[in-house]
Amino acid sequence: MSDIGMILDRIGRKLVTEVAPKLEGDYSAGHAAMSGLMAVMAGEAWDNAADRLVNEIAGIRGLLALAGQSVSVPESSSVKISQLTEERNALAEQLIALQAELETSDDAAAKDLNAKIWMHLMATAMNRMPTPPDFPDPED
Amino acid sequence: MLETELATKFADYAEARLPGAKNAHVVSINRIHGGASRQTYSIDLTYEDATGPKTKGLILRRDPPDSLIDTERRVEFAAIKSAYGQRDLPVPEALFLETDTAALGAPFFVMGRIEKGDPLNPFKIEQVEPHRAAIGEQFFRHLGSIAALPVEGSALAEESESPALDQCWRKELAYWANEIRSNARNPQPVAEAAIRYLERNPPPPAQRLSIVHGDYRTGNYLQDGEGTMTAILDWEMAHIGDPYEDLAWATDLLWCGNDQERAAGLLPWPEAIGIWQNASGCTFDPAAFEWWSLFAYVKALGIWVTSEKAFAAGDNDDPILAWSGWFTHCAHELMLAMRLGPKHGAGA
Repeated sequence: MSDIGMILDRIGRKLVTEVAPKLEGDYSAGHAAMSGLMAVMAGEAWDNAADRLVNEIAGIRGLLALAGQSVSVPESSSVKISQLTEERNALAEQLIALQAELETSDDAAAKDLNAKIWMHLMATAMNRMPTPPDFPDPED
Repeated sequence: MLETELATKFADYAEARLPGAKNAHVVSINRIHGGASRQTYSIDLTYEDATGPKTKGLILRRDPPDSLIDTERRVEFAAIKSAYGQRDLPVPEALFLETDTAALGAPFFVMGRIEKGDPLNPFKIEQVEPHRAAIGEQFFRHLGSIAALPVEGSALAEESESPALDQCWRKELAYWANEIRSNARNPQPVAEAAIRYLERNPPPPAQRLSIVHGDYRTGNYLQDGEGTMTAILDWEMAHIGDPYEDLAWATDLLWCGNDQERAAGLLPWPEAIGIWQNASGCTFDPAAFEWWSLFAYVKALGIWVTSEKAFAAGDNDDPILAWSGWFTHCAHELMLAMRLGPKHGAGA
């Protein structure tokens, strides 16, 4: 676990298990609990974010290459999340256009490539899915 | 506006609106989690009228700076009025609607407070035990009863467009596609593919035009812990349309703890559908349900990207919007990809 992931995890757990119960009855108790839950999830996501984006980018570039499309989206000059996200988003726009075009064709190669795009979308959706931590109910 | 200031202004407003009321005071006001689309307050109001002292428990729903869903409060108010007192439906009484911002700084409406019951967390639906079957029976009976409410002459029909039977799907899909395209902060390839698929494969025409609650699901009703549903809440997405929209939304996997054996995580599917058919007068059509259940994912993504945008822009800093824009968006995107991918030859 990275230090930042650890910090977010610990802050989140403190909010859920110590701060939120002290605010019980006040509207802000829900805010504290929800913020804590997401802080723990953010800690996990922070560690994975660059790896996930790099994989998404490689996947889309591969699919566009299979379609024989020229890609003008430049590669990020760093692995900053913001830059990788920008690159991924530009590529995703191109992927959406490609998939819409493939859907209009009865050609077997087009259907095969569309199936590959769906495999990519399914895998991406799985990798993006955060895991909410399971905190015991106070009464448990 | 501070709650003390809100209480004073609300008492003045209520005194002016309640027939013969004087000496109105708010004796307690608490903000509650009553749906993220409006600021919701539970209020105890005391006043006197010609018959003596009175105490009323009220729910105030005030528009926030931004919300999960951009809906007109007059539509929500009209939907509640349309269902109140009908077919044994547990719906609060709609009391006042105020569209002017002068009284409380934002438009609002006021309902009677239903005194008994708590919402059930859809992510912990097992907490309904040992009353799962009883709540499930009421859940699907009330859902069917809403579908059977008369549309013509209803308060909602005065506020909401009534589409042709074969246009219900098109109107809703166009609305939510526009929400996604207008509000998403990142490209949405899964949602876009789903929108194209739904456009190319339309459902059968609606069997009837119905009042559609729009967000009927576990989490949006109260239950008393003894096996009775005491209130159906959160009518802000109500409209007139195909009753399958509500059936599909109510049984979306996200609201039932991923329980695929029981509809809405409450009842075995055949039993649930039977109760819904009896109450609604509709005949279950698998083709219609298939389309509307896919549409439910698209609609959900529309809500979640709107939430994310509002949170990211700082228009509304309620953490539930961040949760919606992150966790629930990922969950629905995954479910949608897993439904549509195999239709296009991907995986199993």
